[in-house]
Amino acid sequence: MLTREPEVRQDRPTKRRRTRLWSALTLPGTVWMSVFFLSALLLTVALSFGTTDDLGNPHFGSTLANWAQLGEPAYAKVIFRSFVYAGLASVICLLIAYPVAYVIALHGGRYKHALIAAIVVPFFANYLVRMYGWSTVLADDGPVLRAARALGAPPSLTILNTGFGVVAGLVYGFVVFMILPLYAAMERMDVSLIEAGRDLYGGPLRTFLFVTVPSTRQGALAGLVLVFLPATGDFVSAQLLGGPNQIMIGNLIQQKFFDGQNWPLGCALTVLLMALLVVGLSGYLRRSRRDEQEAVR
Amino acid sequence: MRRAFSRRRKPWFAIAVTVAFFGMLYLPIVVVALFSLNSQKSLTVFKGFSLRWYRAFFADHDLIGSLGFSLRISAVAMIGSIVLGVALALGIVRSRGKLGSAAGLVLLIPLITPEIVTGVASAMLFKGVGLPLSSGTVMLAEVTFSISYVTVILRSRVAALNPEVEEAAMDLGCSRFQAVRLVTLPALLPAILASAILIFAMVFDDFVLAYFTTGVTPQPLPVRIYSAIRFGVQPTINAVGTLMLIGSIALIGLALLVPRLFGRRESLSQLL
Repeated sequence: MLTREPEVRQDRPTKRRRTRLWSALTLPGTVWMSVFFLSALLLTVALSFGTTDDLGNPHFGSTLANWAQLGEPAYAKVIFRSFVYAGLASVICLLIAYPVAYVIALHGGRYKHALIAAIVVPFFANYLVRMYGWSTVLADDGPVLRAARALGAPPSLTILNTGFGVVAGLVYGFVVFMILPLYAAMERMDVSLIEAGRDLYGGPLRTFLFVTVPSTRQGALAGLVLVFLPATGDFVSAQLLGGPNQIMIGNLIQQKFFDGQNWPLGCALTVLLMALLVVGLSGYLRRSRRDEQEAVR
Repeated sequence: MRRAFSRRRKPWFAIAVTVAFFGMLYLPIVVVALFSLNSQKSLTVFKGFSLRWYRAFFADHDLIGSLGFSLRISAVAMIGSIVLGVALALGIVRSRGKLGSAAGLVLLIPLITPEIVTGVASAMLFKGVGLPLSSGTVMLAEVTFSISYVTVILRSRVAALNPEVEEAAMDLGCSRFQAVRLVTLPALLPAILASAILIFAMVFDDFVLAYFTTGVTPQPLPVRIYSAIRFGVQPTINAVGTLMLIGSIALIGLALLVPRLFGRRESLSQLL
């Protein structure tokens, strides 16, 4: 109805004044975001070089002490654990999302949109309530372990308060971020490629590995970034499903702000997460640009 | 073509994984809802139906106060972010200037930043400028967080509008402002309503940002729930959780429905 023509009209005398109106509309939101978001990020970076006085009040400074502290074994261990758990969760999400996205995109038929909606809607349900429900499901007397024991698992098997519990929580919390980009990639994929793979006597597994996976690599990459980043910063999963011995970076940050009152150290941990974001995103962008260039060639 | 393909062979393994996935996706939600109706305090043994935990919730002034506070935060964040976000979306798409494209890029950052980073940064800012954490600071933080969503959702809608319709309105005697008000905004209304509902639901459910930016009292409902499940489980939380689940699902359904009420079929991906 109101679709725009591709060409741009330059001949209007009102153009200059119109542009000024649009710039004026951009201004309040831009100022707001600069004040409340960008400057907040900068302040956090600055404070990561700050100090704390005897009363626990933070002061700006130029010390690297907070950063050095992150290298101490107690902190390094937690940071390392966060990367391992988030990495494991991303890989498990990928393994779950591939078959699910494949089935919905290529065999969903007219239920495709309903099935994607059925995945997205629970994601909008309150994160805490979902995680809390997940923890009762995975509890020692919950349905999952009872079923496992009925199938012959040892009675000592437990999920809560283990590293596996934390990873399970991260997977449950963020798997939707993997399914959506993968689904979009599968929708875009040329199905005749799979046909060709089968015609050339590739078995289902070989066709999947050598045809489907390469042509949906972009979506998988986007999903890995989208799961890994929030998973690394999550603290609810470690708290509800991991217990005190499985804490992650997010729990450390929380402690520094609420219990320990060491904001500069908390800021250093936060900046570490931001740096991870920058590295992950630039890696992703460089990779996808290279893919595009290859596709053009 | 596609149909012939799907008839050829069913990927039974992948279908089994998908079925199991949906089962696990909904199991926790079903468990919370079921045990909110339990007549006993147990969270593992179902003894019979009762509404006692719902009655306990409505009798708890503290929780009801948190509920009201959360609704207020959501309303403020919704209105604030819609006003700023709609203006931004129009400005970014139409101005084509350096400011616009820079703003467009900056707006993507909050969407991909881990929430805890946004929470810490906002708390640092408020403390840095000497604003004590209170109900006002949560609202400021939530507006900031929501602007990005509104702008990103509406940008594609604005880009799909034909600017010449506005110019036609101006040729017919409208002022520029009138043209925007009478032509552009009505065309955007379904998308504006849908994103307003989404923002309301997201802010109402938001925990991390609220946790870092709220004062001691009143506490937003998710923050209250967090402290409750942290210090031992109470079945009342199942009842609150169930009500919140129903509320969010109803709102998301409404957000998906609104564009259709206006006779438009918008795919889910466009809205998200």
